[in-house]
Amino acid sequence: MIGLNHYLIVAGLLFAIGLIGVIRRRNLLMLFFATEIMLNAANVAFAAISHYYNDLSGQMFAFFIVAIAASEVAIGLGLLILLYKKQGTLDLDDLATMKG
Amino acid sequence: MESLVYIALFAPLVSSLFAGLFAMSPRQTFVGVVSSLLLFVSFVSSVLLGYHIATTGANVHVTMMDWISVADLHIPFGFMADQVSVTMMVVVTLVSTVVHIYSIGYMDHDKSFNRFFSYLSAFVFSMLVLVMSDNFAGLFIGWEGVGVCSWLLIGFWYHKPDVSREENPSISPSWAANEAFIMNRIADLGMLVGLFIIFWNTGSLQYDVVFSQIPNLAPAVLTAAAAALFIGAMGKSAQFPLHTWLTDAMEGPTPVSALIHAATMVTAGVFLVIRANPIFSVTPEVSYFIAALGTFVAFFAASMALVNRDLKRIIAFSTLSQLGYMFAAAGLGAYWIALFHLAAHAFFKALLFLGAGNVMHAMHGELDIFKMGGLRKKMGWTYAYMGLASLALAGIPPLAGFFSKDAIIETAFNEGTLILWAMLVITAGMTAFYSFRQVFLTFLGDERYKEFGIHPHEMYGFVLIAMSPLAILAVIAGFFRDWFNSFIIHLLPNYEMSEHTHHLALILGAIVLVVAVSGIVLAYIKYAKGLQRSEKTENGFIYKLLANQYYIPKIYEALITKPYAEISKLMWTKVDIRIVDATVDGIAKTIYKSGDGSRKMQTGNLSNYLNWMAGGALVLLFITVASYVIG
Amino acid sequence: MSFILSILIFFPLIAGMLGFIVDKGSARVYGISIAAIEFLLSLWLWMNFDANSAAIQFIEFMPIVKDFGINYYVGVDGISLFLVVMTTLMTLIGMVSMTIKNEIKNMVVTILFLEMTMVGVFLALDAIVFYFFWELSLVPMLYIIGAWGGPLRVYASIKFFLYTFSGSLIMLVGMLFVAYKFHEITGVWSFAITDWYALKFDLNYQFWLFLAFFVGFAIKVPMFPFHTWLPYAHGQAPTIGSVILAAVLLKMGTYGFVRFSLPMFPDASVMMILPIAIISIIMIIYTAMVAYAQEDMKQVIAYSSVSHMGIIMLGIFAMNSQGISGSIFQMLSHGIVSGALFMLVGVIYDRTHTKIMSNFGGLATIMPKYALVFGIMLMASVGLPLTIGFVGEFLVLIGFYKVSPVLTILAGTSIIVGAIYMLALYKKSFFGAITNEENKKLKDLDSREIVSFIPLVAIVIWLGVYPKPVLTPIDNSVQAMLSFMKEKAITPEAKNMIVATQTAKEAK
Repeated sequence: MIGLNHYLIVAGLLFAIGLIGVIRRRNLLMLFFATEIMLNAANVAFAAISHYYNDLSGQMFAFFIVAIAASEVAIGLGLLILLYKKQGTLDLDDLATMKG
Repeated sequence: MESLVYIALFAPLVSSLFAGLFAMSPRQTFVGVVSSLLLFVSFVSSVLLGYHIATTGANVHVTMMDWISVADLHIPFGFMADQVSVTMMVVVTLVSTVVHIYSIGYMDHDKSFNRFFSYLSAFVFSMLVLVMSDNFAGLFIGWEGVGVCSWLLIGFWYHKPDVSREENPSISPSWAANEAFIMNRIADLGMLVGLFIIFWNTGSLQYDVVFSQIPNLAPAVLTAAAAALFIGAMGKSAQFPLHTWLTDAMEGPTPVSALIHAATMVTAGVFLVIRANPIFSVTPEVSYFIAALGTFVAFFAASMALVNRDLKRIIAFSTLSQLGYMFAAAGLGAYWIALFHLAAHAFFKALLFLGAGNVMHAMHGELDIFKMGGLRKKMGWTYAYMGLASLALAGIPPLAGFFSKDAIIETAFNEGTLILWAMLVITAGMTAFYSFRQVFLTFLGDERYKEFGIHPHEMYGFVLIAMSPLAILAVIAGFFRDWFNSFIIHLLPNYEMSEHTHHLALILGAIVLVVAVSGIVLAYIKYAKGLQRSEKTENGFIYKLLANQYYIPKIYEALITKPYAEISKLMWTKVDIRIVDATVDGIAKTIYKSGDGSRKMQTGNLSNYLNWMAGGALVLLFITVASYVIG
Repeated sequence: MSFILSILIFFPLIAGMLGFIVDKGSARVYGISIAAIEFLLSLWLWMNFDANSAAIQFIEFMPIVKDFGINYYVGVDGISLFLVVMTTLMTLIGMVSMTIKNEIKNMVVTILFLEMTMVGVFLALDAIVFYFFWELSLVPMLYIIGAWGGPLRVYASIKFFLYTFSGSLIMLVGMLFVAYKFHEITGVWSFAITDWYALKFDLNYQFWLFLAFFVGFAIKVPMFPFHTWLPYAHGQAPTIGSVILAAVLLKMGTYGFVRFSLPMFPDASVMMILPIAIISIIMIIYTAMVAYAQEDMKQVIAYSSVSHMGIIMLGIFAMNSQGISGSIFQMLSHGIVSGALFMLVGVIYDRTHTKIMSNFGGLATIMPKYALVFGIMLMASVGLPLTIGFVGEFLVLIGFYKVSPVLTILAGTSIIVGAIYMLALYKKSFFGAITNEENKKLKDLDSREIVSFIPLVAIVIWLGVYPKPVLTPIDNSVQAMLSFMKEKAITPEAKNMIVATQTAKEAK
């Protein structure tokens, strides 16, 4: 039987994958993907717990997150394209201009 | 009568301010004349007051205004003339008037003539405040006031540079002035503490209130108060170990030495003990200590005078020695005898100093008695005056010193303190010896000054006339002993010799007299024919020890002055800069460095930031979990 | 004139603002006349002050932030009255004696601005208003040191600013906590000091709050070991800066102890007597020794300030009227005397452009008037009776003797060590032969300098001979404060220690 814990473990694994991506990746596009994975990990957890407690607010939250992620991707990708056109790269090491 | 108190007190102040007006202008003889006149006015007022008190037996007490008034501490400016203070007033104003007139002649060529009179009169004013005040705080005003005037007058020739101790034992007038001031301050702290003890235990600083409270006080409190007050007295009266400033104070002009450092200021300590006699008479331990210390100083100072070559320093040591006598008397309970000796001493010692001033004036500032001799031919009057004063000092009847000093020695015998008695008798012999050693070396024998091309001349006539009152008093003051006794015992406890002593009085007197006369004879044999120096004696250990004042000034320098300067330097360069300030700067630098170090986090690389963020999130998560688990 | 206190506070500010449009050439005269008017106003305040009443007078009250109980609340009592008068006097005299030539207009405006903050600190009865003026006073001083100072001016001014600022931040935390507790207990917000007085804290709170206020005040005083900003600030500041710093700014710290620490935390204050007395004695002796080692005349006086502030601190914690009244009197006395001494150093610095004592020697021969004024101030500084310096020192010592005889004897060494460094300074600079040929041409005090010194000399002697007009109002307010503290104290030790109007015999 697949219980709550299984879902949460999957969500945790997904989140960890996303986190590692955020930490390790240098390409902005890849960072985006990693962020999306983390958001979706949260979604899985929300949905699972919502089901477990028989409370719909968790699933509502998941929808909100999906909506926000979608708009974020739309705007973010647009910005990335502009940045790529301007700089010719999306590698973060090359984009470090605000050095303190 | 109240107005007489004010006139006596404030005439010197007016004189000081008047002379002060001209302090920065060239020499004006009338400044000295006006000052002397005002001092004479003060003297006449004092005498009238004395006459009033002697005839009516009533004290004159005035309260001018409040000075400090906080919570239950009330200190007024109150002045009183009673038997003790009026005696002091007469002595002070008399000697001051003579010294003022004398100074017109002595300071003749000094460009700071006017300033000198301003200081001198200010001193007299402070001294009168000291003796006339009706409370301890007022006494302290005068106490500090005379200290400052002494500082100003010792350092009067402030322009002289510092020289080495070998060249001049007092280094420079300004050095000597500072030494005197600071040493007195050490003692003043003791005095202040005495005031505090008295105030917190009696609730007042007025003499009458304090003395009426004495029966209610614990013996320990009284002992502490007496000890603290006596520490104050030790400074002003230059008792061991605070004595070194007095001889160095001889850097001041000679009239100053006569007035301040012989006749008046240095006796303030004795005056304090006499004034506070109700306290001292119920504290036998402190009183005995005073007597013992006084006797010791009498002997100790006289021993240093034996070999000294400096005209003024010899007299200074002799002053020190006589102050010891006074303290011995006061400590043994014979307060009126101490006061009597104080007055008699003021007359003949001032005369001696003024005579020395004449010699110094004649010798163009030379003070070494080995370079003098035979001055009698040129300075007959001065010889007579100094000889007379020395006879009085040596205690030869019927001069003043005989009556007063003999009484002190007799007291020591009467109290059964035979060691003190013996020391005082020996000191009397030493006194006679060094006084006449000085007189003979200066005035008799070969004229050694000729080698140095000095042409001595007698002092101005008016100066010699001005000195005559002192000379007369030095001769006759002793005859007033019984009268003075009946006058003063209205206020001071009487002291009478026991039956036993009374029987032996003649023998005791004879012993002292024999010792004194043999001292003079010895001096005559050794020095009257001229100076014979013996290498052997002068290189002897004891001679050197005495000539170097038991090396005490050098010990003080090595143990106190120099270490203090060095520790101060150390405190500044090592502690204050290297530790305290460095810590503050260290904290500031640490903050700056940490900022400088953490600045490197700001790489501008988004990836790094994300790493920091992730790390931070993990740390926060860990803390949350940990606190959940623990708490 | 019911708004006299507001006028006193804000008149210099408005006049300072207007000062920007004054012609450069007349800026000095403008500054002097404004300071003179301000001084006359403060004298008017003194004349109309009811000396027999211990209450706070001339109260003005106007809400600022009603919901948080922050009000513009000012008033004056015997403790603050004379500090205000001294502030205006020293500003006036500092202005008269000022010799700065460059940027004179900015200087005048800055000083007037500073005067506002100083008067504000002493008159404020609301903690926030107090804190506002307290911090604001740093700005003009920072500017004075930083813009007109010596070679190390930037270091000195930043050190001064940051050091005192960080201390007062901790004090601010303390204030906010007191207000919070006040709200917790009474249910309303108030920052009025008089409201706070009514608050009884338990011992633990008192102790920590006392420490929080202590840090702010102690750095300002400055107490050992927080004193090291002072020599730099004095060493680098122009004469006018040093005068105001020594005369007034340091007094803000000691005033804070009297206004806040003692009445608000009586038990903690009694607990802290011993540590503070020890620090004070270290201040007295240690800084006096450091002063003796200095080569720079101005540094001697700077360190001597710390030494004298030690006496003041000691008196405040004597917990009796003699000590505290003596302390407040000593604040005035030190303000006048150290201000005058810094001005005197300024006189010789203007002529020779050096403050190192070994360059002088024999000045008394060349400049007798200068030597005379210096001598009088020196005697006041070493506490000669019948000068202003004695009264305060005597009262402080006699007051503290009640607390501890041994510590008083140690503190009393100030009359010895004080004499040592001051006389050494005088001897090195004024006595001896004239060692420096160039000094022979020096001019004695000119009329402007004499005009600025005469009032100070007069005050030094007047208040030394007859301190009563000043001491009585101070004493009234202090006694009222002490009896209030005694009532408020919760521990019996504190109740025993605080003596409001005792008779000496009872105190035995």
